[in-house]
Amino acid sequence: MKFKLDKKDFENFLNDLLETHDLFAPVQLTEGVSVFKKIERPEEVNLNQLVPQKSAKEVFFPQSEVMFRFEMTKHQGSIVSKHQIERERVILGARPCDVEAISIIEKVFVGEDYTDLYFFEKRKETTIITLACNQPLTTCFCSSTGGGPFRREGSDIFMIDLGDSYRLELLTQKGKAFSKKRFFKEANSKDIELAKELEEKASHKTDRSIPLEGIEKRLDLMVESPFWDRIHEKCIGCGVCTFLCPTCHCFDITDEVVNLKGQRVRNWDSCLFPIYSLETSGHNPRPTGRERTRQRLMHKFNYYPKNFGKVACVGCGRCILFCPVQFDIREAIRYASAKRTQGMEGRPR
Amino acid sequence: MIVKKARIETSDRMLRTLELTFRNPEDEEKFRYIPGQFCELSILGKGEAPFGIASSPTEKGSLKFTINKAGVVTTAIHHLEEGYEIGIRGPLGNGYPIDLFEGKNLLIIGGGFAFTTLRSLIAYFLHPENRPRIKGITVIYGARMPGLLLYKEELLEWEKRDDLRLVMTVDWGDKDWKGKVGLVPNVLEEVAPSAEETYAVICGPPIMIKFTFPKLMTLRFPNERIFTSLEKRMKCGIGKCGRCNIGHLYVCKDGPVFSYAQLEKLPKDY
Amino acid sequence: MIQQKLREKAKELLSNKTVDLIIGYGNWTLPLRTTPVFIRTPQGTESLVWNSFCENNLVTYLHKFSRFKVGIVVKGCDARSVLALSLEKRFSNQKPLLIGIPCQRIVDRKKLKKAVKGEILKAVEQGELLFVKGEDFEVTLKRDDFLYSVCQTCNHRTPLQADFLIGDPVEESPLLDTHPDVRDFEKKSPEERWTFFEKEMSRCIRCYACREACPMCYCAECFVDSSRPKWIEKSLSSSDLAFYHIVRAYHQTGRCSACGACERACPMDIRLTHLTQKLNQEVKDLYGFETGIQPEIPPPLATFDPKDEQGFIK
Repeated sequence: MKFKLDKKDFENFLNDLLETHDLFAPVQLTEGVSVFKKIERPEEVNLNQLVPQKSAKEVFFPQSEVMFRFEMTKHQGSIVSKHQIERERVILGARPCDVEAISIIEKVFVGEDYTDLYFFEKRKETTIITLACNQPLTTCFCSSTGGGPFRREGSDIFMIDLGDSYRLELLTQKGKAFSKKRFFKEANSKDIELAKELEEKASHKTDRSIPLEGIEKRLDLMVESPFWDRIHEKCIGCGVCTFLCPTCHCFDITDEVVNLKGQRVRNWDSCLFPIYSLETSGHNPRPTGRERTRQRLMHKFNYYPKNFGKVACVGCGRCILFCPVQFDIREAIRYASAKRTQGMEGRPR
Repeated sequence: MIVKKARIETSDRMLRTLELTFRNPEDEEKFRYIPGQFCELSILGKGEAPFGIASSPTEKGSLKFTINKAGVVTTAIHHLEEGYEIGIRGPLGNGYPIDLFEGKNLLIIGGGFAFTTLRSLIAYFLHPENRPRIKGITVIYGARMPGLLLYKEELLEWEKRDDLRLVMTVDWGDKDWKGKVGLVPNVLEEVAPSAEETYAVICGPPIMIKFTFPKLMTLRFPNERIFTSLEKRMKCGIGKCGRCNIGHLYVCKDGPVFSYAQLEKLPKDY
Repeated sequence: MIQQKLREKAKELLSNKTVDLIIGYGNWTLPLRTTPVFIRTPQGTESLVWNSFCENNLVTYLHKFSRFKVGIVVKGCDARSVLALSLEKRFSNQKPLLIGIPCQRIVDRKKLKKAVKGEILKAVEQGELLFVKGEDFEVTLKRDDFLYSVCQTCNHRTPLQADFLIGDPVEESPLLDTHPDVRDFEKKSPEERWTFFEKEMSRCIRCYACREACPMCYCAECFVDSSRPKWIEKSLSSSDLAFYHIVRAYHQTGRCSACGACERACPMDIRLTHLTQKLNQEVKDLYGFETGIQPEIPPPLATFDPKDEQGFIK
């Protein structure tokens, strides 16, 4: 059976879900700013912003996560709490780019040798309901990275906004487990037609022109290129692109202590911060923005592909939209492809 | 793990060797390691840091680490009392390529307090079970001053052995020092071991490596037969946090031991 | 036209090697935005632009390029930053050459985005009007309805101490007397103020865009990165967030030129200028001091005078 959910039943459906699952969805914090958060009431869900600032990776890899708590005595410290997941989870409203990004992070965190249990436990228990992008932005270049506004890979349930209802495609076992949900109706042929039309329209809108074909090999030849001397100049070295990027996964581990009680916490970190690679001796293998910008771009388009066979970028465009100085990763790739740096000083318009 | 014994190793009091025992003897059974691997030692309330294992797997009953006092965690380790329990994660890393050394000569060059994992390697091959697997062992170990040499009593024992050639040197001697005075690269040139059928392992401060490496080239050591143990800032130690990468390899997971042939192909990110 | 004159002046400075590098604004890929450009050749100056989207404070780059002879494009607020930094002896090596442009006030692109429905594909400025186009809309808006709040109260739009002034000095006529947010804030009780502040800061993701965009933040080791002593943790607890922003604002007191770069850089739209503008107002009321206006007067929080106002000590 092909399903749909009327928008007037949406809140009821969410209320149903909330009885048995922990629900994560985009929430608007203020106009123009959305993040993925745990939902207590259906009214909090806001699907209007195509790219929420903080991506779906927050659900599996929170910015700030307590690994364990401990107490200290004169002779030793001892761990007093362990991490556990209470209920099954649903993430609703992630876009195909964010869903693809989760699988990119998964390849690092869930390995043959070691598995990051904090990530894995959450991932195992989560059903992913992806929302298709009817109206991609001009900054979306998911089609260049192997994705697309209606890409279904990685989704358990695929949701398409038809205007007054949502078309629901139950794709996996986890997704099909929802087929008995009370408010699901049968989608008629008009709904299916409309979904197809929307998919067709959207597929033309995302940017396919970013030259990512063979970027790994091109960058192999450019490790010491003067290209890096110029491209890093306007970067101010903040963490916006890395924190908002759905595939960036670097983290720092610190102990926070008050009196004799404490916790070991992991927090997101950014390879663009100067102290990221600073060693206690004072030596810093990446002393200037040149090395750090090189590290970020090479990691995404050369190092990660060497290890896992695809680029670590999903074309969501967040780094372009939110960078304070408009560093544009698309232009960086174009210039790397052409191996030139003149013309990077703005464009006469 | 429990701190069984601790002692200051060097005259500037910056290096302290800890001997740690397992709280549960069964854990020791499961803890199988080879020279060159490292562990993350955890002091609850301060943090965690990676340290190369200085003891050899042939030395049962405890693990030895030599720690340089530099930051928050290492200062806390320097203040640990005997009997204190700390956390450990390991063994991590790839270790020295013991299998490759089979039937060959070994040239070991160490500088300063980078000698810790080299001690593990030497002690491993000096063990009667393992000594026959290797042909000749030559060790060149240098420090700035005699007081800064690690494991002094052991070095004196090793000097007396005839199944290994140990040359110690210092940059500046003192009135009691009877050994060589000279920089490691120059001593290497003097000793001039043959590169034939020989693997070189070199660990030391960047400045020493910078000047020693060309001498190895002059002695005709090919890049595939020169190994080093790198250091980089680490956090998780298992290739997840992204911090210690050199190119597409992680120092914690694919290293810390790398051959120069490998390093040639990677960006100079260390 | 100002843009043309700017390009000519930059070309002249590079051609006769008065400077090695010009830092200015150029067009880039998104509408409503310019990007910092670093020009080293006379031909490159053709990409310099000047319009109401030149929102970055380029002075923050001078710390990176202190070894070079630099010519930098500055608005009124940016020039104040340069003066404040000179008083802190930041430019003892190489004084930057200031190419000042009297500012027509900068457009608040986030406010503009909220006023239309859909993605903005093109925005063209013409005098007092803005023509904004999207896929299925086209509107004409009044530029003055969409200015940054710091620009509306700005009293120093003509760059002071500029080595070259492109265009004529403008009449200093702020559109508002006091920052509207500061006025609202002052009407609140302390509990209301703390609630407002905490809610605003709760969005913070510790990306430090505010710190990096600010030209006055140039410490080799920022207090957040210090591990011995560790002043602040790295997580998102409300006490850490509050601590970071309060201390950073206090480090700016008497040094902030009200350029607004911090608020514009913030990806979470935190209204940082509430804090900084309130502190600027306090400094003005207590010490009669405004940052970067008079070169002879040192910042009040770096000096002591027995006649200083002390009524706040209770």
